[in-house]
Amino acid sequence: MKSLVTRFFRVRELPVFIALVIVVFITGSANPQFFTLSGFQDVTLGVAVVAVLAVAQTLVIVMKHIDLSVGSTIGFSAYLIGDASSKGHGFWYCMGLALALGLAVGAANGFMVAYLKLPSLVVTLGTLYIVRGVFNEVAGGNTITEDMVPGPINFMGLNTFFGIPYLFLVAFVLMLVVGFVMKRIRSARDLYAIGSNLLAAELGGIPVARRVFLAFLATGAVSGLAGAVLLARFNTAAANSGNGLELSVVAACVVGGVAIAGGIGTVYGAVIGAILLQAITMALGALGIPQFWQLAVNGTLLIAAISLDRYLSTRVKPTSIMGAK
Amino acid sequence: MVATQTPILEMRGAKKAFGGVQALTGADLTLYPGEIHALLGENGAGKSTLLKALAGVHKIDAGSITLNGKTFEQGSTRRAGEQGIAVIYQEPSLFPDLTLAENVFVGRQLRSGFTVNWKAMEEETNKLFQQLGVKLDGTRTARGLSIADQQIVEIAKALSTKATVIVMDEPTAALSSKEVDRLFQVARNLEAQNCAVVFVSHRLDEVFALCSRITVMRDGATVGTAPTKEMTEQSVIKLMVGREVSELYPKLEAKIGDVVLKVEGLGLAGQFEDISFEVRAGEIVGLAGLVGSGRSEIVRAVFGVDKFDKGTVTLNGKKLKPGNPSAQMVSGVALVPEDRRQQGLFMSSSIDKNSAVTMLKKLSKFFIIRQKNESKLATEWGQKLSLKYATGHDPVDRLSGGNQQKVVIAKWLATNPKLLIVDEPTRGIDVGTKAEVHRLLSTKAQDGVAILIVSSELPEVMGMADRILVMREGRMVGQFDRHAATPEKIISVATGAAPV
Repeated sequence: MKSLVTRFFRVRELPVFIALVIVVFITGSANPQFFTLSGFQDVTLGVAVVAVLAVAQTLVIVMKHIDLSVGSTIGFSAYLIGDASSKGHGFWYCMGLALALGLAVGAANGFMVAYLKLPSLVVTLGTLYIVRGVFNEVAGGNTITEDMVPGPINFMGLNTFFGIPYLFLVAFVLMLVVGFVMKRIRSARDLYAIGSNLLAAELGGIPVARRVFLAFLATGAVSGLAGAVLLARFNTAAANSGNGLELSVVAACVVGGVAIAGGIGTVYGAVIGAILLQAITMALGALGIPQFWQLAVNGTLLIAAISLDRYLSTRVKPTSIMGAK
Repeated sequence: MVATQTPILEMRGAKKAFGGVQALTGADLTLYPGEIHALLGENGAGKSTLLKALAGVHKIDAGSITLNGKTFEQGSTRRAGEQGIAVIYQEPSLFPDLTLAENVFVGRQLRSGFTVNWKAMEEETNKLFQQLGVKLDGTRTARGLSIADQQIVEIAKALSTKATVIVMDEPTAALSSKEVDRLFQVARNLEAQNCAVVFVSHRLDEVFALCSRITVMRDGATVGTAPTKEMTEQSVIKLMVGREVSELYPKLEAKIGDVVLKVEGLGLAGQFEDISFEVRAGEIVGLAGLVGSGRSEIVRAVFGVDKFDKGTVTLNGKKLKPGNPSAQMVSGVALVPEDRRQQGLFMSSSIDKNSAVTMLKKLSKFFIIRQKNESKLATEWGQKLSLKYATGHDPVDRLSGGNQQKVVIAKWLATNPKLLIVDEPTRGIDVGTKAEVHRLLSTKAQDGVAILIVSSELPEVMGMADRILVMREGRMVGQFDRHAATPEKIISVATGAAPV
């Protein structure tokens, strides 16, 4: 039996967590503003949207797939919520609309990937453009303004719960729920098996197509509902809302140790990854470093994360319990 | 002893055809609880088909299978497992990122209520490992496990499903001798727990050391079953071979010329050692031996894909540098590799491109590849090899296995090699195409090409080669002239049985 200490050091999320602590301390000592409650609130509020999407994305990436359509979905959904609300519909109606959009996109992605066996990278790149195109057509030049945002969403965007922004709490609770499901529910464990060895999963009688479909459906549903988070965060939405978010989301997952090659990673890692990227952006801002360098640092971090992964996976020693060759 | 008991499994008169090929023509197998039963036969004798029928991969066309007194429900791997049959393949397929515990219980993870109970699963797995007498930790992931350990995990999985029949398909092929000992221990444990273990192996010494009964198959049918003590290695080999082989492979007479390839004292630590031989122009030399005896490793080293530590490789009097395949190509060596899908072809590229890839320099003008030249070359070779295809632009993976193999051969013959090395040239291809490939090789030898052929199919080596070199465990253990070679002699030397 392994001791708790060894188990602790085998935790995959450890390096990124340590990196986060280091970033926070360096920035904090250079700029004490960072350590204040408002500094904390800036980071946690800023990360909420990406964190929610990163949790959903983890479901897909562990299966060795990817969903690039989430940025378009969340943006369109934010717009639809504001639009429906401004026409006098209630909060739950608006959320139903957001969910319906998410389920539709998720079902389309899932159907094409799981049953038509099309590559997810291409399928979701396609739906990214399709959803964005429809969005542009529907929204035209309109902008959702603060007065059009449903009351509860507006409230959540502006207020905190014992100092913690509501939006971050949403992301946090979602992370806990999905994290529990992915560790403890049998059908969710299949996602890891599929990503780890597809052929063996098929031979082992796992209903691969059904699982892949449901995972894409769930990711779509969360992206749809997350439109409320995006709307709450910015109190506005227009045809370009959510543009490019998908790449931040994938970056957060990879930095957080969700292997792009499938089979490994947790939603906790994905959320820590999102926080780290957000913290670095804010830290560089706080240290007065230009925007260009912030993006370059994020890019470097991404490559560093994947290199570390590669290094760790080649370092695994083959077993030789009985003096194997 | 066993004969008085009721059998666990009874297969009677099993028949199975794939297209026109009759893979099983009447196979019988009876297994009793608490026995280790060897299933023997040459390649193509039908062992794999029989195993796959038990595993639920194939359904037999005729005949019956009874398991524990009930009719065995065929055609589903999942159902086969539920009914108590577990098959462990030579290359186990685990989930590298999951823990061993989850690998053992994948798809049916232990639960308390609705949630997975990791602790119970890990304890149960460690208990199984203990029962098997191995030191493995259920909480580690499967990545990096040796093949031997992966097999143990598969066996633990079989035990966790309460399997009563455990089939091991050539489990020792990739194991070191210590690992083999441990596997034997595990198999005897299973025997003691009243399981029936089916042990498929080509190594007769192992069979005689481990198994209590032996069933021999030939040409899709069972040709004999007896307790091990009533058999000898010689009688088993006779049962396995049992036919004249020479007529199948027409050999053309070729003029034997100068030495083309000379290998002296070749060695690579842990793979092979002290290998010396020659191949002359117009001569076909066969390299025989069991899978894993080092045959493929030697040809890879000669071609320069792998390095070697000791010895020299000389081609037409010029020493070759190790580890440089493109230099070898320039000097006139061609290698048709063992695994055409992985090593021999660009599966999604067109037939034209695949045929031309070794010749790009000659087909190019100012570094630009002329597609017309590519097509011309491919068409020329396609005709010579009677390749069946729609257009040269079709991707290679649309071709049948036999035709794919022809493309690989075309690709290398186009370089006009002086030495052609072919590794398992006819694996998995039909009889007709086989004969074409053999005819092609014979013709090439007549043209003065030196040919080195590696094959697991004894009739092929014996039919084609002028001389046969036999390998065992990385050493060259025998050499036979075409006329002196018999299947019995070669198998005896290759398996380490007493000389005939």
